[in-house]
Amino acid sequence: MNSWMTRAAAPLALAGLLAGCSGVSDLTKERVARSETSVQQAQQAIGNSEQGALELQRAKENLDGARKAMKDGDEKLADRHAQLAQLDAELAVSKSQTAASRKAADEMLASIKQLRQEAERTTDQPRTTNDQ
Amino acid sequence: MNRYSLILAAAAAACVAACSSTPETIEELETARAVVPQVEASPRAGVAATNISEARKALDQANRLAEKGGKVADIQYEATVAARNAQIANEKILSAMARDEIEKGTAERQAVLTEARTREADRNAQSARSAEERAKALEQELKDLQGKKTDRGVVVTLGDVLFDTGKATLKPGAYTTIDRLATVLKQDANRKVLIEGHTDNVGTDEYNQGLSERRAASVQAALFERGVEASQISTVGKGETTPVAGNDNPAGRQQNRRVELVFQEDRSRVASDSD
Repeated sequence: MNSWMTRAAAPLALAGLLAGCSGVSDLTKERVARSETSVQQAQQAIGNSEQGALELQRAKENLDGARKAMKDGDEKLADRHAQLAQLDAELAVSKSQTAASRKAADEMLASIKQLRQEAERTTDQPRTTNDQ
Repeated sequence: MNRYSLILAAAAAACVAACSSTPETIEELETARAVVPQVEASPRAGVAATNISEARKALDQANRLAEKGGKVADIQYEATVAARNAQIANEKILSAMARDEIEKGTAERQAVLTEARTREADRNAQSARSAEERAKALEQELKDLQGKKTDRGVVVTLGDVLFDTGKATLKPGAYTTIDRLATVLKQDANRKVLIEGHTDNVGTDEYNQGLSERRAASVQAALFERGVEASQISTVGKGETTPVAGNDNPAGRQQNRRVELVFQEDRSRVASDSD
């Protein structure tokens, strides 16, 4: 609550105060809450893997920004940070999914290559005809 | 040049509007302008249609704001939304392409496997045929050696006339037969032969047992000399225990004095028959 006092001079917060001292709308609160869920889900999906870690970190920073803006009563900034947190969480998950698909595809290609080599080795052996 | 002047105009407008300085280029906007058209042009854009349309919407908005000198923060926000959506779309496209490869690879892998299996089956059939042919050739060879089919296998008998009387030494007349037997055995190292010595009932049991063993051993030695593997041959002396004719007349006794070579396709049966 003391931030209300310290931030009162900031024009945006002032605007918020002038609007009715009522903080942010329920819609914004809901958006921030939804982003929180998305970031948590992304955290679970990615775990400790490298792919998407950077984006997840950015999502967390945006979420922090959204929470802070909400506290400051800056609805627009809270909405924006929530939206960016949402997008970064989604990007993080997409990146880790791509990495997993890519790995599976590469393994598949490698196994086909190996199979082909084995098949070629065995065909190299002379084959006799049936009518000998 | 055109964009440059536009941005200048936008910057000037922004200055007038809010006395804030608008930079000549906004990094986020440049990024969005570069990545959005890329994903829009992708042949797999369909897998990320929503993200691509969001990206386009936000980029258009950012461009409009930049044109009319909107706030830098607003432009940055819209451009970032555009860029993020484009990046998500790009990841979705890459994922879809990898999945396509996996799907194609699964079919390809199956085809390679099927092909390999067919080839192996062909090879097996071929080797089964050649094994069969070898067995047939061997059968013919043994038939030529007067081999008789019995339930113990094909039995080739070396008669008494091929040995010196009362001795285990092979006469030169036996060599042709021994040569052919050695050839048959050397053709297939898996083929086993059991050599059995037999006598008539003249003399003591001990003497006959010893003679039968020595005669079997002498055939074995002759085969070794011709390069047959030791593991292919086993010997046993049966003495006078297994006559094939009556011992009460000379002709019968001569038939009983013999060495039998038992060729068995199944080794385990030779082994069990040898005791």
